[in-house]
Amino acid sequence: MSNISEWSQSAEYLSFRSNVPLRRIVVDSDDSKGWRIYDCGPKSVQSPLVCLPPVSGTADIFFRQALALSARGVRVILAEAPPYWSTKEWCDGFRRLLDYLNLSRVHLFGASLGGYLAQKFAEYTCSCPRVASISLCNSFSDTSIFRGNESAALYWMLPALVLKKMLMSNFEPEPAKDSDTVKTIDFMVEKLDSLTQSELASRLTLNCIRGYVEAHKLRDLPVTIIDVFNGAPLSSPVREELYKCYPQAKLAHLKTGGYFPFLSRSAEVNLHLLIHLRQFDNTPLASSEKPLINNSLPDS
Amino acid sequence: MASNKKVLLKVIILGDSSVGKTSLMNQYVNRKFSNQYKATIGADFLTKEVTIDDRTVTMQIWDTAGQERFQSLGVAFYRGADCCVLVFDVTAPNTFKSLDSWRDEFLIQAAPREPDNFPFVLLGNKVDLEPRAISAKRAQQWCQAKNNMPYFETSAKEGLNVEQAFLAIAKNALAQQNQSVDLYNEFPDQIKLTNTQKSNGGGDSCAC
Repeated sequence: MSNISEWSQSAEYLSFRSNVPLRRIVVDSDDSKGWRIYDCGPKSVQSPLVCLPPVSGTADIFFRQALALSARGVRVILAEAPPYWSTKEWCDGFRRLLDYLNLSRVHLFGASLGGYLAQKFAEYTCSCPRVASISLCNSFSDTSIFRGNESAALYWMLPALVLKKMLMSNFEPEPAKDSDTVKTIDFMVEKLDSLTQSELASRLTLNCIRGYVEAHKLRDLPVTIIDVFNGAPLSSPVREELYKCYPQAKLAHLKTGGYFPFLSRSAEVNLHLLIHLRQFDNTPLASSEKPLINNSLPDS
Repeated sequence: MASNKKVLLKVIILGDSSVGKTSLMNQYVNRKFSNQYKATIGADFLTKEVTIDDRTVTMQIWDTAGQERFQSLGVAFYRGADCCVLVFDVTAPNTFKSLDSWRDEFLIQAAPREPDNFPFVLLGNKVDLEPRAISAKRAQQWCQAKNNMPYFETSAKEGLNVEQAFLAIAKNALAQQNQSVDLYNEFPDQIKLTNTQKSNGGGDSCAC
């Protein structure tokens, strides 16, 4: 997998990488552990949109959100955690990251595991809210839906190759039907390949170890649930379980798009994110410098 | 398409401002009506689950700002639409005259594969109001010339005909989806990139 995927060489991705610096921020006593951060858009914004990747992704997989939304004045932060082995540890780390970045409340956009952690963090901080809103993409609120709860305790000792194979075998719910999904998978395989054993093992552990979100504590939180209707990674009972957790949520279904619609259907996902974020226009929790409303909608 | 597959229908409502697009959508989805006019900004949507011929169908209904006309809402907005609903106000002749350009706008932006067969439905709204400027006959004539587009006279305020109109919209959208190929399906013959056979034990596979 040494060949470089089409998107890694695309003008769009290269422009993102050449304009937005990758920062490494250490918030733990162990200074080998660092969060990887891309921060773009106006720094004056105090409630940015923070994007949290799924198990297999690096922070830059959200480059299409970063480019399109920051062009509309939204501050977008892509954040990738160092290895943490429990959700509590992850939440502590993320809180310290927000403290370091001087952000009191943020909007979270999480894909799959990223979405689960976003919910756990909102729950973790519910007495002293640090989360302004949540957008979930192909996500879940209970890890018991996954096979492997029992073996999760052993992931730390499995070789990287085995862990990668575990993930790759699940990459395609059904054969990809369009070139954007094909390119997305190529790109994600490349990103997966760049992860270390401890990064992968820790994320898989967080993903599979028994846990659920106490969603009743989050009833006042604005939520948008973005999911893929057909050929989705999660079955419809699992998706319906999530809808039940958040009766207040706006349901943004996409017809198709596979596992990673934020890449394969980025224009639609960005449209839903804009619709979600514009409810905070002219409030202290605005995610953009100027109101999103007069800006109409994105062109592509 | 397997009949047990859940269906998502994307419906787009177009028409001049203040003809009642948002009110129609709210009446249908939430059974609520407000006399207060509040301009829609950009675009917004609501979802509603309905049962049609024993199939569970989720309708995603997109409402647009009438002022948004000729201003590009972007391909993401129109992408994958299954039915377009045109709305005019039966007491306002100008809103009837705009219908042709709204229809053209949709066909240009959404670029459906078979523009001639794409389902449109026309709603003449505000029939509770007087005086009437556009007769039912005149609206029907326009519809006949447009490949027999179905026509409904509605009142979002009184909930008149709204349910029936949206049911027809859903049926037309469903029929369209059943005969058209997936918009994204660029490879009609399945190409497998990897030979991953989904080993389905219990529960969902591990999220990537």
